[in-house]
Amino acid sequence: MALSRTQRRRVRQGGWDALGLAVFVVMVFPVYWMVTTAFKPVTEIISVTPSWFPLHPTLGHFRAALRQPFFWEDVKNSLIIVGATVAISIALAFLAAIALARYRFGGRKLFVVLVIGIQMLPQAGLIIPLYVVLAQYHRVNSLIGVIITYLTFVLPFSVWTLRGFLIGIPEELEEAAMVDGSTRLGVFLKILLPLMAPGLVATSVFTFITSWNEYIFARVLLNDQSKQTVTVWLSYFSGTSRNTDWGALMAASTLTAIPVVIFFLLVQRRIAFGLTAGAVKA
Amino acid sequence: MKRRSIVALCLVTVLAAAVAAATSGATKKATASGITVWLQTDAQNGWPDIVAAANKQFQADHPGVSVNIQYQSWTDHLQKFDATLAAGTTPDVIEMGNTEMTKYMAAGAFQDLTSLKGTFANSATWLKGLAASGQYNGKIYGVPYYAGSRVVTYRTDLFKKAGIAKLPNSLAAFAADSKRLFANQKKGFSALYVAGEDWYSAMGFVFDYGGGIATRVSGKWKGILDSPKSIAGLTAYKNFFLSVSRAGKTAIENSPDPNPYDVFAQGQAAAVVGPAWYTCCTGKYKPVTGQFVMPGHVKGTVMPGFLGGSDLAVPIGANKALGADWIKDFTSTAAEKGLEQKGNIPNATNLLGNSVNERAAARSWFVPQAKHWVDVENGNILRNMLGQILTGNLTVKQAAKSASDNIASVLNQP
Amino acid sequence: MAAAAETSPFRSRRRRRFWGQALRASTPYWLIAPVVVVTGVILGYPLYWLVKLSTERYGLFELIRHAGESVGLANYRSVLHDSVFWHTLLRTVVFTIANVGLTMVLGTLLALLLVRVSKVVRLLLTSGLVLVWSMPVVVAVQVWIWMTNFENGVLNYALQQLHVGNFANHDWDQTTFSQLTLVTTLIVWGALPFVVITLYAGLSQVPRDLIEAAEVDGARPWRVFRDITLPILRPILLILTSLSIIWDFGVFTQPYLLIGQAKITTGNYLMSIYLFEEGYFKSDYGRGAAISLLMLVIVAVLSVFYVRKMVRIGDV
Repeated sequence: MALSRTQRRRVRQGGWDALGLAVFVVMVFPVYWMVTTAFKPVTEIISVTPSWFPLHPTLGHFRAALRQPFFWEDVKNSLIIVGATVAISIALAFLAAIALARYRFGGRKLFVVLVIGIQMLPQAGLIIPLYVVLAQYHRVNSLIGVIITYLTFVLPFSVWTLRGFLIGIPEELEEAAMVDGSTRLGVFLKILLPLMAPGLVATSVFTFITSWNEYIFARVLLNDQSKQTVTVWLSYFSGTSRNTDWGALMAASTLTAIPVVIFFLLVQRRIAFGLTAGAVKA
Repeated sequence: MKRRSIVALCLVTVLAAAVAAATSGATKKATASGITVWLQTDAQNGWPDIVAAANKQFQADHPGVSVNIQYQSWTDHLQKFDATLAAGTTPDVIEMGNTEMTKYMAAGAFQDLTSLKGTFANSATWLKGLAASGQYNGKIYGVPYYAGSRVVTYRTDLFKKAGIAKLPNSLAAFAADSKRLFANQKKGFSALYVAGEDWYSAMGFVFDYGGGIATRVSGKWKGILDSPKSIAGLTAYKNFFLSVSRAGKTAIENSPDPNPYDVFAQGQAAAVVGPAWYTCCTGKYKPVTGQFVMPGHVKGTVMPGFLGGSDLAVPIGANKALGADWIKDFTSTAAEKGLEQKGNIPNATNLLGNSVNERAAARSWFVPQAKHWVDVENGNILRNMLGQILTGNLTVKQAAKSASDNIASVLNQP
Repeated sequence: MAAAAETSPFRSRRRRRFWGQALRASTPYWLIAPVVVVTGVILGYPLYWLVKLSTERYGLFELIRHAGESVGLANYRSVLHDSVFWHTLLRTVVFTIANVGLTMVLGTLLALLLVRVSKVVRLLLTSGLVLVWSMPVVVAVQVWIWMTNFENGVLNYALQQLHVGNFANHDWDQTTFSQLTLVTTLIVWGALPFVVITLYAGLSQVPRDLIEAAEVDGARPWRVFRDITLPILRPILLILTSLSIIWDFGVFTQPYLLIGQAKITTGNYLMSIYLFEEGYFKSDYGRGAAISLLMLVIVAVLSVFYVRKMVRIGDV
């Protein structure tokens, strides 16, 4: 039986969708495991035969997680640190990326070497001297110290990635607009920014997640529990010399993952197909 | 060309300024308006009331001086400590694990508290093993805080079912009892679950037979795991393991291998050996859980147990008077008695009660007091030796000799 | 360094026409200044510290006294003469190639899949990827340990059900190869979200009507990919590859926690673990600094091919 063209397209679409769902299931399975463990009573967590679904779900672990002191303060600190890092790094990196992608200037290769080289440094080696530097500037145990540290690590990456996206945008677009009488700012707002939106979003999501999950520098640089980030808060569940409360740890981890997902859902529309369709019809 | 050199010059200037700012002068040490205390999260979860009481007493004696308690994790508190040592911003009091002390004492990280010994409660009767971990070259750098020993946690119902009326009082008796415990159980069940490479348990056997790990002979370390007594102990461990435990021969006693208390809670073992706090996590078997002291090979004796514990020290660069005073308040008789009630072993013999945990501490062993001992542990020398002995890859003699030589060379590093 | 400004007179003349002669000279410097200042201020001293310490004997004793003893290149010599270093290097290079290869191939395929699926499935899949991305590493490692438990882990169960082979009670911890294979699955799984989302963002720069026109003309999917999509994606693919090389070469937390400190031996070291064990665990900061700088040089050499391509693309 011959299928009409629309029918064929629907079948093909269905095939892709099925594949997409299969990939979803495989990728998300460990996350599923984490979340369901948060709802399982302890006997189910340690039982010899694992259960695919919590048979007797309990909210006890979430309650235990929230009882660990300073959760809300630490979430606030994380949001401040990550928010500032994302905002500042995107702005500064975008500017630097424009310089690299659109200008020729002496010392350009040196800057590129700096940008790439920093990312190649093993971070473990930087903990002690970085602490010493921040102590000198009296920025230990302060959110600003952590923000500056994170900026140092995400800026090179952001510059490098945004440059890549910028290179993909043909200069002819800007030139054409300028010839048409647009100001430089107009070019920036009407041409560059919309075309760069997907790249900016992808980079900011990366910065968000990397900063949100960063542990060792936050641990070393922040002393007061009221100033720590939520990732450090999470470490208190497994840092004792006694047993680890897996249920509470999984519940706590689920809680710390929520803001990231919310942020992504807010910005994900910008990584959409078809955004550029209009601009390219020149 | 010119522009490039200008850029390079600016870059170098910024870097140089950063270096200069960082290396110029030391950070001013905080004046005595507050002290910083580093305790492990065990205190935050286990006995926050004792911490609060110590703070209250301290602030009564020193009005106007605040106490900032910062809770640390065992996994990274040393990394953080190293950073503060480098920057000169050390806390005024720090809790250190007793195995962590020697390396830092040897490097001069702590202040000498010998002259203040009398001010600490019960210092004349400090537990010998714990106190020794805080001493170096005859000086006192660490005040004993609390200890924990190792006991056997067992299923009273299974022991009853197997007809074991009296708890075993020797290794031989235990091995005999285990045969009855294995009856009617499925494959993989252990009478006594001991992970093959659980060196804390295995070394107990070595010390029980009069052997040891290493001793100092005319200024140099000599490994004694290959001495006849140590070999007797290791052989006894091998035989005992094979008769009572179905754990992996190369398994360790925590992640990523199963934790003994999880094995117990899953019903896969009639008994497990480990710290006394294992009773926290016995799951549905809690009502039928009991503890007894691990017997030695001689009838009626206690197997030497590894005495784990913590000391409190005053790091270099900190406020010695205030730091020591806080330690005094935190290790007072009342505080130690409080710790004992939470299931720990207090720091002095006159405070010892009669719990299983404390009776097990009657005979204890400790690791060689060498500044490079941590490297032996991190290098897993003892664990690998046990794995090779149990799998039969090497004879006891060969494995012990190799480990012994290895340990000596590591400990004798400059 | 070649004189960059003088190679293409035609292009620079065109640029001069548009951005203004006076501004051209200083604008780029103002644009990169903030980045240079921030990184210089924070990393200046640490870099100096690393270089200085790599030429000194600097242990805990010296750390407390803030002064080391100069020993010239002894640290470097000791590391380069250590056979463990070379074996670890080889192992890490192979490990990196495997990880980067898998990440980039799977990432590209998944990004292309994202384009094809319907809107709902796309949102589901990208949200799923973000969930994966946001899972803390410590937690992911623990889930991996549960899943690969030899007695009752779901991995063995699934492989057994799929009749891939006899995986009942398979102990994944037995050999270095299987240990590192598990670590690879963990790392690739964790790295895919970023690669997929970034590539998908890059794909959105590919003009849809161009692809549709080509398809209407009867072009096969592979040719559409090769001739239209790939050239546009190239800069991003190169970036992601170079970044993956850098990250996978120096990855620490996942192998360290998954294999477990007790099971780590010189036989399954990776470079970052070697650095940690030889430098920081033993508090031999001088040696640690030397190894850090050597790692920097090695990674630079490994990724230079991609980096140069990247830089050259921008110069066209």
